[in-house]
Amino acid sequence: MNDDKITYLTDVALITCIVEAGRGDAVIQAAQAMGAAGALVYHARGIGPRERLGLLGIAIEAEKDVVSILVASDYQEVVFEAVYHAADLGRPGAGLAYITPVERLATYIPREVLARVPGQETTS
Amino acid sequence: MSVTKNQARYADYLRAIGAGRRELSFNAIIPSAGRDARGRPLPAPATGPIRLHPDEVARLLRPYVSVRFLDQLKAVVPLAVYLALFQILILRQLIADSWLVTGGLFAVILGLMFFMEGLKLGLMPFGELIGHRLPRKSPLPLVLLITLLLGIGVTFAEPAIGALQAAGQNVSPERAPYLWALLNPWSGVLVLVIGASVGLAAVLGTLRFLYGWSLKPLIYASLVPVLGLTLYGASQPELAKVLGLAWDAGAVTTGPVTVPLVLSLGIGIAAAAGRGDSGLSGFGIVTLASLFPIIGVLLLTFYVAGTVTPAEILAAATTVASASTEHLAWYARSPGAEVLMGIRAILPLVLFLLVILKLVLKEALPRPREIGLGIALTVIGMCLFNLGLTYGLSALGGSAGSLVPAAFMEIPGADGSPLYRYGVGLTLAVVFAWVLGFGATIAEPALNALGVTAEQLTNGFFKKRTLILAVSVGVACGIALGLTKLVFDLPLVWLIVPPYLLAAALTLVSSEEFVNVAWDSAGVTTGPITVPLVLAMGLGLGNATHAVEGFGILCLASIGPIISVLLTGLWARLHLWRQARAARREPATHSALEAQSPL
Repeated sequence: MNDDKITYLTDVALITCIVEAGRGDAVIQAAQAMGAAGALVYHARGIGPRERLGLLGIAIEAEKDVVSILVASDYQEVVFEAVYHAADLGRPGAGLAYITPVERLATYIPREVLARVPGQETTS
Repeated sequence: MSVTKNQARYADYLRAIGAGRRELSFNAIIPSAGRDARGRPLPAPATGPIRLHPDEVARLLRPYVSVRFLDQLKAVVPLAVYLALFQILILRQLIADSWLVTGGLFAVILGLMFFMEGLKLGLMPFGELIGHRLPRKSPLPLVLLITLLLGIGVTFAEPAIGALQAAGQNVSPERAPYLWALLNPWSGVLVLVIGASVGLAAVLGTLRFLYGWSLKPLIYASLVPVLGLTLYGASQPELAKVLGLAWDAGAVTTGPVTVPLVLSLGIGIAAAAGRGDSGLSGFGIVTLASLFPIIGVLLLTFYVAGTVTPAEILAAATTVASASTEHLAWYARSPGAEVLMGIRAILPLVLFLLVILKLVLKEALPRPREIGLGIALTVIGMCLFNLGLTYGLSALGGSAGSLVPAAFMEIPGADGSPLYRYGVGLTLAVVFAWVLGFGATIAEPALNALGVTAEQLTNGFFKKRTLILAVSVGVACGIALGLTKLVFDLPLVWLIVPPYLLAAALTLVSSEEFVNVAWDSAGVTTGPITVPLVLAMGLGLGNATHAVEGFGILCLASIGPIISVLLTGLWARLHLWRQARAARREPATHSALEAQSPL
């Protein structure tokens, strides 16, 4: 419990899903059902297919929700698939999702959680 | 521990065998067009438009259409079901031409869907562009003149205005000659006058937030002529029959086209003058736009009364009646007339906006194809809506209106009427009107937006739910009162003047925020579904109970929320004051809270 000691979490993946504004909540719910701890949503405006589709572009909302979810890399596939289906990304114009490997992550880790990890009890 | 590990392995396994998944290099999608001088691959030049197969297009459009369709469905179906069930269960009457009515309602839903989407794609960006650019480029008098003309244009485009014109066909020229004259040979002038009044209201409202005037004196200043002219009109037996129309015109004008277009221009002007978007700047125009048309229509009535005698109107009516039995041209018959009306409503507004853009601003249209599609959708939507109005909403409202009296009095055509004892039946009818008003208002999307604004304006002190409830109760009471008026044929003037005097008195003691919200809530409540339904119901009811005219329900539905919201505001302030007094008795700690309170 020293102040200068930092616990880095490794094997982290960032799943980012970009969907039409207002549909972000469905994505978050699906990710949480798959064990994601939390999510960050930001509002954005997308440019690209909307302009290149011509008049059909009106069917794509320019306002987007960007949902960021940090997961342990072991579970990235299941969470990603849950996100993919919740956002209905197999449909044209629905949005996109991607996985980014994260080198390391640091935050406060509750002692109870640390205690459950073998080999960590003594170090803290 | 071991369980989670197994899950991960299963995922790895799925990935390994690739169940339903495959990988594709992004590089393979974007072919290289060669290499640059240093040997790096270059992508193919500027990616062109995306081409989709028909099935892909269908999948792209399906959710887009269904979301918008469901929005309108949710607004129309509960009301229609309520009306139909009331007729079948309480009045024990089947709806005549139920297939035609269902088709009409479907057309209303489709029409509103196209209209709203077209508005969002076409007219709104257009209006916003002009609202932003015009005040920066042109002197204030020119801007105000354009605002005035725009007010006229948007009034013609307002879907509910069509309902007002359609309502005129059921007025009997013998019993209310001036009312008939205003709605038939003079109907074009009538809409023009209403439009000019809306334009004037827009100009005054813009000046108001340019110079930061308080809304209260403006309300008093417009109430004096409104009430004065009403009292004068009520003293003339022939003119008294037009009062209902005049007051309803005020409620009709502030719909889904007028409010956003005129507001965007007004806010643009205020922004260009360096007055930012203060919380209150959006308000006021709606209030004035629902008061000024009353003055306009009453003045027009006095002019008509001064130039034409009832005998001349009767003569004109008989010639029209005899002419209508002959074969009408395609554009005067049912489907053609509605389509023509839809085109005539939108195109002048579009042309006007285009002329301003080209001649005054000298700018090209941004994204012309999208805006063009939007305008086309608006026109299609307006035509469909007009058709649906004739066959669906008006028919349903009219039949409900003409059958409701069967609950308490004898109606030809309704078997076994009166169905209930007089008192019971009348109570049923009033409760029916109350619930109809409540249900129609609480679902109005514009009210939700007003609620959010009100909540922000009062720092969360006036809750959105409180406002929506207050307005809905106000409208419900207004509509119930309007039904009572028609049943007993009460003179409208005694139902209108005292509540407005009460509202003026309440305005005097209320704070500026509540005055703004309360007076605007009146205009906001009367949307494109409520207006035709209530108008048609009123006229049907009026015919059935042999009242002279069926107007006046809408304006009572406008004054209701003004009073209920003002009262709620006063009650909330009293509550706060009591809290503050209680806090003062306790020492110190609460004083910080008091200082923050918005009132």
